[in-house]
Amino acid sequence: MNARTWTGYAFLAPYLLLFAAFVIAPLFYGLGISLFEWEMLSPAPPRFAGLANYAEALHSDRFWKALYATARFVVLCVPLTISLSLAAALGIHATPRVRQTIYRAAYFPPTIISISVAGILWRWFFNSEFGLFNALAAPFGVKIPWLSETSLAMWAIVLMTLWWTLGGPIVVLLAGLNQIPRQYYEAAAIDGAGPMRRFLHITLPQLRPILLFVSIMNIIGSFQVFGQTFMITRGGPEHSTRVLVQYIYETAFTNYRMGYGSAMSWLLFAVIAVFAIIQFRILREDLQ
Amino acid sequence: MKRLRASSTLSGMTAIAALGIFAIAGAGCRHSDSQTVALRFWNGFTGPDGRTMLAIVKKFNAEHPDIQVRMQRMDWGTYYNKLFVAGLGKRAPEVFILHADNIERFARAGFVRPIDDLCAGQDGLDVSDILPNVWAATERQGRHFGVPLDVHPFGMYYNKTLFRKCGIVDAHGEAAPPRTRDEFMDALAKLTAAKKPNGDPQTWGMVFTWLRTNAATLMQQWGGRFFTPDYSACALNAPENVAALQFCVDLVQKHRYAPPPETYDSWIGFRQGNVGIVFEGIYMLGDLRRQQDLDYGAAPMPQIGPLPAAWAGSHVLCLREGLDDAATRAAWTFIAYLSNHALDWCDGGQIPSRASLLKTDRFQSMPAQSEFAKALPHIFYMPRVPFVFEFQTELDIAVEKALRRTASPQAALDAATARVNEIIARHTAWSAAP
Repeated sequence: MNARTWTGYAFLAPYLLLFAAFVIAPLFYGLGISLFEWEMLSPAPPRFAGLANYAEALHSDRFWKALYATARFVVLCVPLTISLSLAAALGIHATPRVRQTIYRAAYFPPTIISISVAGILWRWFFNSEFGLFNALAAPFGVKIPWLSETSLAMWAIVLMTLWWTLGGPIVVLLAGLNQIPRQYYEAAAIDGAGPMRRFLHITLPQLRPILLFVSIMNIIGSFQVFGQTFMITRGGPEHSTRVLVQYIYETAFTNYRMGYGSAMSWLLFAVIAVFAIIQFRILREDLQ
Repeated sequence: MKRLRASSTLSGMTAIAALGIFAIAGAGCRHSDSQTVALRFWNGFTGPDGRTMLAIVKKFNAEHPDIQVRMQRMDWGTYYNKLFVAGLGKRAPEVFILHADNIERFARAGFVRPIDDLCAGQDGLDVSDILPNVWAATERQGRHFGVPLDVHPFGMYYNKTLFRKCGIVDAHGEAAPPRTRDEFMDALAKLTAAKKPNGDPQTWGMVFTWLRTNAATLMQQWGGRFFTPDYSACALNAPENVAALQFCVDLVQKHRYAPPPETYDSWIGFRQGNVGIVFEGIYMLGDLRRQQDLDYGAAPMPQIGPLPAAWAGSHVLCLREGLDDAATRAAWTFIAYLSNHALDWCDGGQIPSRASLLKTDRFQSMPAQSEFAKALPHIFYMPRVPFVFEFQTELDIAVEKALRRTASPQAALDAATARVNEIIARHTAWSAAP
């Protein structure tokens, strides 16, 4: 290896070290824990349990309910995030430079608000008796039970999530849009292509890798949803928004069942891994 | 090549800077000098209560030059995780707060020091002055694991403006808080008499804030138990508990005195002045005091069932296991000081656990605290089981299902009982294992 390569590694080293120490190592430590029955409340040492924790999860209706709630969030949230952020990015891209900055500045701030603050705020917005949204809707005789209906609560979480997270994908997609050479559009316009055809045949194909990237990151992130539901509904009503990460958190850090919590984490990891692998495949084929 | 060298110098400098930060952080942990005893004191008082506590700690440090207490506050939501992990790693702070409900699980993990031998000494803390039922909440297998700093019982807050408007007044025209079931139901009926076009009352009679403590209080008033006396089985589906839960359901579904339960934020409704009555802990007082435009009153929990009862909790001052003599003595001095100065602490919305402090004029002039304190003879704590959190989760979901009419009170409590029995079986299995 020459000096140049070494410098590369030197720059990588601090991150790699932290990543290995705080992500990779705990990941496999967790895999080990998941094979033990380890109840921290007991002074007794952990006992080897084989796959018993995994079996317990797969036979538990609470686990499946939590996984279903998670999947529901992903299915509702990801397509909306992608299409709305694309629409917003296209809109912003089409406006003149000065106004672009204003719009960008308008979409981005929610993403930097901490989830605790955003959560407390939206919990109050959604409160059906005393909240802001229903107070605004009251003159029209509308009263929406945002958080008290099992069918609606997840939609409320999705709505809040869109507000909170849309800024990130918009910025990335805008960067992607700016990279598409203007000549393509000029040539298409000369050939008589309308806005719709230009969008379908230039913008979308050119943006494809970036859209895929945004989707992958969004799906992975959505499977790990926690803060929003924990702050706004605490998993209610009747556990309908208790997502898997919250259930894992409660199992491991409230009830101190480390083995069972780790096993469920690995099951979630497996689900996310399957999605990630499929998408990376598509992305690679796409790039080739 | 020049650029390369510059970059390696830069990364080298970064590394040195990082090491420097670690070194500084490490130095902070060392005891400053051998004559003073340094104590760490952890708690979850992140609100205004934390500022009150900090002031008391500062006063203590000033009056005790040989002891330096450093207080660290963290949110209750993460506090117990951090404390537990620190305890298992034998790095727990010398003094820390536990809620009485948590003593069982933490003492079981083995890092909380029983204090009975310290109480025997003449070091300025007379534990016989602590209310017997509060003192008993710190006991486990015949030993006590801490000194209860306070007690925070459930009670009733009511909106005086709404009470007067709806004619719930005494002979002098003053708002009259209900004390019996009949008065309670009468007050709710009057508070909800005026309706909106959609049939909802213009103001709600009451709201359920924290389902668990509301339901548990009424269950105890109906004479229900949560477990069999030997804790070998769950008794949540006992007829008394079912009847109490049915009463709660009727308040929402049959009488429409209360809206269906939502998140804890129903409390906001009371602050907004849209709710007549709410049952909550004395610790919510600080929140109400900030609300300038709300004319509220505080009263002890009315007796709605056949028996008086009110849920309560306590902040308990605990010591770490394995301290040397000097640290133990210093920590005990600090704990005794806090207990003796509990009135400063309770001013913000707590009730002292000491009989002598309850009698003082100063305490009697705290309007809400002295009202809530009337329930002290009838308080109960959550059951002392190591799986209290899991038990509470099941109780929560059962109450929620019943109030939302997803299940009947009987069916909801049957399901919870079955779950809790599974938890008991799991705990028995690994307690019995070698």
